[in-house]
Amino acid sequence: MDIEQLKKEIARIEADAQTEIDRTETVDALRGLETRLVGKKGPLGSLIGAIKEYPPEQRGQVGQTVNAAKGRVQALVETRLRQLRSAASEAEARKVAQFDPTLPGPVEPMGAVHPVTAVQWEIERIFERMGFTVEQGPEMEEEYNNFEALNIPATHPARDMQDTFWLTNGKVLRTHTSPVQHRAMIKFGAPLRIIAPGRCFRYETLDASHENTFHQVEGLMVDKNISIPNLIAMAKTLLTEVMKREVEVRVRPGFFPFVEPGIEIDMNCEICGGSGCATCKHSGWIEILPAGMVHPNVLRAGRIDPEEYTGFAFGLGLTRLAMMKYGIRDIRVLNAGDIRPIVSPRRLGGPIVSEA
Amino acid sequence: MHISLDWISDYLDLPKGLDPHDLAERFTRTSAEVEEVSCVDVGAKGLIAARVLSYEPIAERANLRKATLDVGGNQTVETVSAAPILYEGVSVVYAPPGASTAKTGQISATKVAGVDSVGMILPGEAVGIRMAVLEAVFLNDSVEPGTELDPELFNDWLIEVDNKSLTHRPDMWGHYGVAREMAAILGVPLKPYPIAPLEEIQAGGQPKIAIDIEDALACRRYSGIRLEGVPTKPAPLWMQLRLGRAGMRPISALVDLTNYIMADLGQPMHAFDADKVTRIEVGWARDGERFTTLDGVERTLTDNTLMIKCADKPIALAGVMGGLETEVIDSTTTLLLESANFDAATVRRTAGRLGLRTDASARFEKSLDPVHTALSIQRFVHLARPIFPNLKIASPLSDNFPGSYDPVQVTIKPNHVARTVGKEMSTEEITRILKPLGFAVKKTDELLRVDVPSFRATGDVSIEEDVIEEIARYVGYGAIPPAMPQVTVRDFEPNKLHDLEKDALNYFVNAERFVEIYGYLWYDTPWIAQIGLEPGDCVELRNPAAEGLQRLRKTLVPGLLDAVGKNRFHFPAFALIEQGSVFDKNEAGDEETRRLSLVKARRGKVEGELFAELKGAVERFAWHEFAQPTEFVAATPNPDHPWERDPRTTEVRVGGSVIGRLGVIDLDLRRAMDEHLIAWGAVWAELNMQKLLAVEHLTEPMGKIPPHPLVEMDFSFVVDTSTHYRDVASQLASFEHHLLRRISYVGAYEGKSVEKGKRSLTFRTVLGETSRTLVDEETNAFRAEFDKYIRSCGYGTR
Repeated sequence: MDIEQLKKEIARIEADAQTEIDRTETVDALRGLETRLVGKKGPLGSLIGAIKEYPPEQRGQVGQTVNAAKGRVQALVETRLRQLRSAASEAEARKVAQFDPTLPGPVEPMGAVHPVTAVQWEIERIFERMGFTVEQGPEMEEEYNNFEALNIPATHPARDMQDTFWLTNGKVLRTHTSPVQHRAMIKFGAPLRIIAPGRCFRYETLDASHENTFHQVEGLMVDKNISIPNLIAMAKTLLTEVMKREVEVRVRPGFFPFVEPGIEIDMNCEICGGSGCATCKHSGWIEILPAGMVHPNVLRAGRIDPEEYTGFAFGLGLTRLAMMKYGIRDIRVLNAGDIRPIVSPRRLGGPIVSEA
Repeated sequence: MHISLDWISDYLDLPKGLDPHDLAERFTRTSAEVEEVSCVDVGAKGLIAARVLSYEPIAERANLRKATLDVGGNQTVETVSAAPILYEGVSVVYAPPGASTAKTGQISATKVAGVDSVGMILPGEAVGIRMAVLEAVFLNDSVEPGTELDPELFNDWLIEVDNKSLTHRPDMWGHYGVAREMAAILGVPLKPYPIAPLEEIQAGGQPKIAIDIEDALACRRYSGIRLEGVPTKPAPLWMQLRLGRAGMRPISALVDLTNYIMADLGQPMHAFDADKVTRIEVGWARDGERFTTLDGVERTLTDNTLMIKCADKPIALAGVMGGLETEVIDSTTTLLLESANFDAATVRRTAGRLGLRTDASARFEKSLDPVHTALSIQRFVHLARPIFPNLKIASPLSDNFPGSYDPVQVTIKPNHVARTVGKEMSTEEITRILKPLGFAVKKTDELLRVDVPSFRATGDVSIEEDVIEEIARYVGYGAIPPAMPQVTVRDFEPNKLHDLEKDALNYFVNAERFVEIYGYLWYDTPWIAQIGLEPGDCVELRNPAAEGLQRLRKTLVPGLLDAVGKNRFHFPAFALIEQGSVFDKNEAGDEETRRLSLVKARRGKVEGELFAELKGAVERFAWHEFAQPTEFVAATPNPDHPWERDPRTTEVRVGGSVIGRLGVIDLDLRRAMDEHLIAWGAVWAELNMQKLLAVEHLTEPMGKIPPHPLVEMDFSFVVDTSTHYRDVASQLASFEHHLLRRISYVGAYEGKSVEKGKRSLTFRTVLGETSRTLVDEETNAFRAEFDKYIRSCGYGTR
């Protein structure tokens, strides 16, 4: 084959390659074709393989000519490759458009704990992190534990504030979770750190904001040198974590027979932010955490030496807190058994699209 | 307690421009909670005094009268009044035409009930006396008709303090005690209490009143004085207005004076007609004795009722209310004024037993300062002098003080102050806080000796911590920087019941999608009757919230059934859980235990499915919690429990012990609950947490991944529905084969393609050899062998 024949042959190979390349439909097929066209065993490769048949002075020209053709074939492949890739992405785009990642999963009802339980667990977690242990006491309590052990003798005016459910067996339905303070002191001795969530009962007429059955959580910490600054720090931590916001507190004197000094810790109103609204009775503050330093008589009743140890205690209205947190306006729905006002519509049905 | 700032300003100089809201906020932060601050602005314009010359009824209008008034300047007018009481010759607060108040608007001449009416005799309410809605306001004779009344007299600021926050503070049940706190808050001096000198009340003509006290613990002190020259007349207008704003009804100068002192110093007083009461005996009533109180009610006494008597005849319920017979009336010429100190618990008990809570008993219940008895008589005389120019002390102060007063002294350690408030405080700082509150501080060595004033020493302040509270609240709780405690780390024994309850609830809610509800602790009698529950002996309430709510629950199931009825309107299917206490009446002592109960309800003929689902949920829970299998064993129904009537009632056993029961709510019960539930299925389960607590937690064995692949092969066969799974399982369990690794249950089927009365069961076998991969021949041989075994057990193929 002389040079001219070679050039013609190359032109034919190129034309065939063009046809074949244009016919390819996939990237993989194109890659296979490319290997075939420009590989050693391909038509161009065999031309190079035959280079020894030319006189030495022509071999350079033959090599250049064939390599140039190889470059052109590869360029054709690249062009087709770009075409195929853009076509593939169009098909991909069509597929992507049909795929709806926003479509919700199948609708199934979810379970739910009672809102008060949810808040209780949240508080337990906060305190367990700080080394408190969770204690419970019975709902049917000894009169002594509910009153006398907490420095509330029979003649104490504070018994006016306790509207008690009495049982015919002489016991009471506990009016607060504070009896657990006494039980824990006897059980563990000092130092100790407990919280006691639980159900309490008071003889009250039911209305939107009064229930005879409600939840509190008692907190008690006894150690050497426990102080009011400690109590305030704990209260701030608690409220900030529960409300999930930087809570401002107002601390003012309060009277409870089992603490001395007794304080009331208020937080700035969640609803109005402190400017005054119906929820906070236009004061800007919500009464949330009655507390104080454990009265020496309570420590003594719990067989702890008040000379050696001091402690603080608080009683948080869990029910009230849950109502505030979940925007429940009528306390009576909490014990009524109808689940609609105590479980979010999302848990009972599908994802919410709009709500009025 | 309504605190009048006008009244307070008698005792301290309120700073100019003081915002009452600011004062109230500081009072809340330092002393006691303020509930409301309100401005009393009567808006009085042009009110004058007018004298009633005569009045006559208006035909057919029983509530109205036509009065002729002297309005000064020799003018008379006729006006129609709704005041229920008028006297000829008495002066009243009158609004002539053109005058106005915020409540009434501008007054004009008009016609009322067809009668010309010029101006208006103002009712108390219009000038801030809340309790006097219709009653006229009577004025002292010394006010001449036509005299203009100072409009400022009617205006005030009221600070309402929460009574509950004053439970321990008898001193703050009067304006002077509140003024002391406010003076300390504002840093201004408290003025001395204006009283007549003691010598003045100790002097007098007749012999002293005899006062006998039977029980010095019940009556610590009794002071009395006899006064003459106290005719019935109205109190000065300012006094009536202050009383009115404090929420009391002005009556007459004498009654108003005792009420005024009660609201001023916190000391209740009582006036007897001295013509009828010649001596005072304080002692216990006789059981069953009868006594008529001032309000006209005859009451039966008990032997723990403390009485004031005269010649052994009861004349007053000590500290609660006087008697009708010895009441001061218009014809009384001499009165015997009582100012006494009664035991708080005694008064409380009497007031509680008789359901007679009065302003006086409310104060005695707080333990009053015995020093105040004589002081309030001094105050009475001081206030009465200008009102009764002819006032004469007929018998000097008679004072029986058997209890005597022991001053209270408290020692405080400065490091205890620091420990509580979080900072060191000097003796000077402490003294600066305590002195304005009436405490005296003396430093001895490292200790501070604090003398507690008598008005704080009746229980309120008796130990070091009480004094530290005084210091802390005046340092200001807001000024105490928070600091996290330094504590000792301790390992507490775990609260297993709490952990179990939390785990269980978490499991049923999150894995089995139950919704938690709370129910009341007591049975509702009509409801348990409706569902046919025989409650048997229950722990009972002495004072139930309402009739029929006296029995404490012994099971949570009735409450859950009630909730089924409430939710069936809104959901076609639901699952509910409750955890709570139940109560059992026991010879050895009534017992409280914890339960976890479940119900599942769904519309349709689905009770069989529900029963299986609930069993599955309980079974999975038991595995989750204890890694132990659950057994369900047919149980003998409790005939008292209507939810156990269905024969499918089972006992739930884990680890060999019975931990609860589970069953189907039958048609009769569903119908009894709510007839719509006929078309539903419903199942229940109740687990006993104390029993669950005793179940051993095993370690869950994990699957081993063998080096060579395992082969799974399922086998289905048909058994009579009367053949129990447990028996089939134990049959299969006894099959032995060297390749067999495990047999597990896959499912059961009844319905199409299975003969009626039969049930298809499917089990999965797992085959393997530790050293090599199995070949088809081996597995086929196993299949043939196992099939043969199944047939040999009498189970059929499908």
